[in-house]
Amino acid sequence: MSERLRRRAAQVEGRLAVRAWKFRQRHHAGGVWFALRRVLADAAEAWIIPEEQAAVLVGEGVRPEAVGAALEPPRVILFVPRERLERIAGRRGVALHLSPELLAAKALALVRFD
Amino acid sequence: MVVGSEVPNLLEAEAGATLVVSQDVDIAVPVGAHALVKERLSALQGLRPSPEEPSVWVPAEPALLEVNFVGMPPPGSDLERTYLVEDGALPLLVFGPLALLRPGPLVRAEGVDVPVPRLAGLVLEKLLTDRTGEKGSRDLLVVLALLMVARETDLEEATESYLTLPDELRHAARANLTILSLIEPHDGMPDPRPQRARVAALLRRFEGGEESA
Repeated sequence: MSERLRRRAAQVEGRLAVRAWKFRQRHHAGGVWFALRRVLADAAEAWIIPEEQAAVLVGEGVRPEAVGAALEPPRVILFVPRERLERIAGRRGVALHLSPELLAAKALALVRFD
Repeated sequence: MVVGSEVPNLLEAEAGATLVVSQDVDIAVPVGAHALVKERLSALQGLRPSPEEPSVWVPAEPALLEVNFVGMPPPGSDLERTYLVEDGALPLLVFGPLALLRPGPLVRAEGVDVPVPRLAGLVLEKLLTDRTGEKGSRDLLVVLALLMVARETDLEEATESYLTLPDELRHAARANLTILSLIEPHDGMPDPRPQRARVAALLRRFEGGEESA
């Protein structure tokens, strides 16, 4: 009786075990995905920018998000004011999903929600 | 109490039902009221129990939606405990996170008073019901639909409840909000892209509450 419900209960238990693992991983390698999503969640827009432009921004004092350095290969992820963004040559907008295009970008400029 | 994707539709102005195209209706049965609900099942019209799974009632006519009965543990129960109430007529899978739900004001829809939970508890429950794949995405988009009809007081209440959760569950809720913020559109669900600021605001509210706690 209720074999289907019993299977569902077992699936829920399995997912809880995975969740507990993810929680334990939050400060280790497995936690990088959460950290990356957390940064992107604050962005109203994302732009792929040339690496040399990212270096210029860092030289201007824009602080890269720590999660970029935790990725392999490392990425430069920066929040920039909109008016500064508009002066970045070669920028290209990218949708805010974990798409191959976004994940492959070596340098990302993000604009915060107003 | 109606607890699934139909809730945001019911909470819309005049139960407008424009936010979510529901695939079924989830009815939460308090574990302590199981016997009472069972007694009333014979009054249901146009639905019959699924032969494979009697907690699911399937429509006898196409205009109706499938109904899923799920078990709701009492307030204060272990939010991570999921268990089965065996019963020949109405078995129930009891989901721990449903213990976060509190009855809200009745919603009048087509002449019927429909019991729904308070929005804050349902937001948290959906953020903690850790489903995967398409079901998981739809659950998160139900959270979005709820945020679209939420009032400031609902968000305050959700934050207060969030702060009472253990660390692991608070992390899970935030992790699911980050997934929601990057989710792609799904048919029959609200488009998340123009609503991302709401999600970011709730994340910041949760984190701000933790910092000041």
